[in-house]
Amino acid sequence: MKIRAFAKERRGRRFNQSTMLIIMIVVVAIVATIVNPRFLRITNIINIFQQISVLGIVACGVGMLLVSGHIDISVGAQVSLIGIILAGIIQHVGGIAPDAPNAWLQPLAIPLAFIVSFAVGIVMGLVNGIVVIKSRVTSFIITLGFGSVYKGIALLVSGGASYMLFGRFEWLGRSRILNFVPVPILFFLGVVFLTHIILKFLRYGRFLYAIGGNRKAAYVSGINTNRVIMRAYVVCGLLNALAALILISRVGSALATTGEAYALDALASVIVGGVAITGGKGNALSFFLGVVLIGLLGNALIIMNVNPYVRDVVIGAIIIAAVTISHLTGERS
Amino acid sequence: MQTKNILEAVEVNKGYPGVQALDAVDFDLRYGEVQALVGQNGAGKSTFIEIIAGSIKPDSGKITLEGEEYTHLDPSASIEIGIQTVHQENQLVEELSVAENIYLYNLPKTRFGFVKLATCIEAAEALFEELGIDIPAGTKLNELTPVQKKLISIAKAFSRKARILILDEPTAALDTKGKDTLFEIVRRYTQKGLSVIYISHHLGEIFEICDRVTIFKDGRRINTHTVKETDMNTIVQEMIGKSTTSLMTRSSVEGLDLVTDTLEIQDYHREGLVEHVSFSVRKGEIFGIGGLVGAGRTELARMIFGLDEKDSGTLVYCGTDVTPTDPNDAIGKGIGLLTEDRKDNGLVIIRPIFENVSLVRFTKNRGAFMNLSRERVETENISKQLNVITPSISQLVVNLSGGNQQKVVLAKWLYAEAEILIFDEPTVGIDVGSKSEIYELMDNLARRGKIILMISSDNPELISVCDRVGVMRFGRLVAILDGKEIKEENILKYSMGVGEKD
Repeated sequence: MKIRAFAKERRGRRFNQSTMLIIMIVVVAIVATIVNPRFLRITNIINIFQQISVLGIVACGVGMLLVSGHIDISVGAQVSLIGIILAGIIQHVGGIAPDAPNAWLQPLAIPLAFIVSFAVGIVMGLVNGIVVIKSRVTSFIITLGFGSVYKGIALLVSGGASYMLFGRFEWLGRSRILNFVPVPILFFLGVVFLTHIILKFLRYGRFLYAIGGNRKAAYVSGINTNRVIMRAYVVCGLLNALAALILISRVGSALATTGEAYALDALASVIVGGVAITGGKGNALSFFLGVVLIGLLGNALIIMNVNPYVRDVVIGAIIIAAVTISHLTGERS
Repeated sequence: MQTKNILEAVEVNKGYPGVQALDAVDFDLRYGEVQALVGQNGAGKSTFIEIIAGSIKPDSGKITLEGEEYTHLDPSASIEIGIQTVHQENQLVEELSVAENIYLYNLPKTRFGFVKLATCIEAAEALFEELGIDIPAGTKLNELTPVQKKLISIAKAFSRKARILILDEPTAALDTKGKDTLFEIVRRYTQKGLSVIYISHHLGEIFEICDRVTIFKDGRRINTHTVKETDMNTIVQEMIGKSTTSLMTRSSVEGLDLVTDTLEIQDYHREGLVEHVSFSVRKGEIFGIGGLVGAGRTELARMIFGLDEKDSGTLVYCGTDVTPTDPNDAIGKGIGLLTEDRKDNGLVIIRPIFENVSLVRFTKNRGAFMNLSRERVETENISKQLNVITPSISQLVVNLSGGNQQKVVLAKWLYAEAEILIFDEPTVGIDVGSKSEIYELMDNLARRGKIILMISSDNPELISVCDRVGVMRFGRLVAILDGKEIKEENILKYSMGVGEKD
């Protein structure tokens, strides 16, 4: 029994999910470089990181929730809705639209858009959290429903049309520090770092693992499980707001479907990163590596001149492979 | 009742790692008799009936059924022969109708594979009529009361050829009327030749319905009596066996103010589960709570800890009201609960040892940041003190043995500096070595002035570890045994209501 326990631990270390991910990332990078040496250029690497920044921020929120054993499948719709509201405010208050109000209000448009975006993010997180907790229904179903609600609201507000920013509010998404490092990357890395602090050093992070590992035992141990879960949804909403700000700033316009893909991509990233769907496992590094792998794949396929639509097929296959392999090697025991 | 045997088992053995569940058991069952099987928890009753029902394969031995010899049975063969078991837990499907539940093993179907519900209901109603059960067969199962469900389980056994009927604690879920119905069925069918193996903790029932009674203890068959020629005291004595060696001796506690330093449990009540329970425990004392499974002991513990709702109940510690509103509140007031089910309520088994040990401490202390290096050192120390055997405290709890897991739970509460500790079946599923370590730890804690409540179904354990033992029966605290009164015989008598009218 004791000998088996030793063996198990050693095997767990050797085939650690993070090591496996790094190997996969290196393999994809090597293959891509062989096919097209431009892949390894520093500009392309920075380009990849810029592309995955928004996904990375959303994935950190989703990842922390998943550690506690909960899912938010509405994050894509949240990003879209916040984007619509944000761009709508800038357009209508900021003086782009013909019906814009008095000129004195115009400089306030961007600060106002910021505040409203974060407020909407928090509210959506709160609503998701409250309903998941009170209804006691699986979070997947509840947030699936809310995803549809948020998407519907985004369509209603925008009337299905897009809002354009016409060059306003470009700093967050398009500028570069020292003319080299894009601002979104800094935000992405900053969020990953904060996630690491929360999960590793905060009492709160420890509670997330405990709840995801065994909610009943966590409650008996005195953790206010409902409050912790609720906060995880709010954090997720906040990060969605940050992601929406960066995304809309970079793209320069907003549609009711702009953020849609992030729901599945974010979930896919953290699962590929090694977070158990039942909770209790994973860390900031695993979220980061999962996001890098997913982003890398998209870029590598394009640079290798493969039909870009192949990306979805490959990502799907990798999710299935990653989960199956980790299941078989007993990582989740 | 005839004297010919329908079932004979000779020298049946079954061992599990560390335990001999059945040790050369001989057993015989006559045509048309009701034979009771009694014994304490772990005596081997369940293993034996599982072997007869075919779901466990014995290591050796011979079973003769109506003259045919078998080395082992399998479930379908067993049912084919006519051995029907009514398990303690109903094995029914909530979403189906009563009739479908009864004939689930062979539903009448049309040519296209659709279930002929009407035929099914008709058959079930005929069966109920015959058995004298009054339940509409078309009702959905989840609309029935627990008593009705139990009767359905019993009826299901009679829907197939039944030569031997095994009843495992059938009356636990029955009211008086249901019990009468069951006994009436048993009496009527045994006259027609049915044989019954009857397992019950309620000795009164044995004198009501059984012809013979067989006593098991520690995997051995101790004796078989004709019920008319024996009495409850004899049976209880044989269930206990010869005086058991003491597992440990408690040392006395001095220097505490025994008058004010008490924990008072006042009028804990929850309709149907716990009936107005009051007692008080002194600092430095280990107070045991004995009784049968289902007597309301776990429910009482969970209510004291603030985990389950209660209709009434106040907890007074050293003169102050400390009744907790929820576990978080209880922890803040220095109360700890080692739950009955370690893996379900006690541990986060997919996380490392040190995280489990420090969990309650962190819910108690309010700081946002954790001091990881201090956590590491202190959890390591406490794990060593409790002798948790592991290569490292980063090991996942899932890889530990049961005894070591229990020590991790205990470490968690000690690290959180709990003053009042409630142990619910602390040694279930634990090897002998770890058991005595846990007793020693409890003794140490008591000597340091902690208040300890211990729920246990292991009576020798209660006797050797506890200073006083309360016995619960049907939610009531029926006795508190002190000093010389703490004997296995007394605990058993009070838990089974010997002397009471059943």
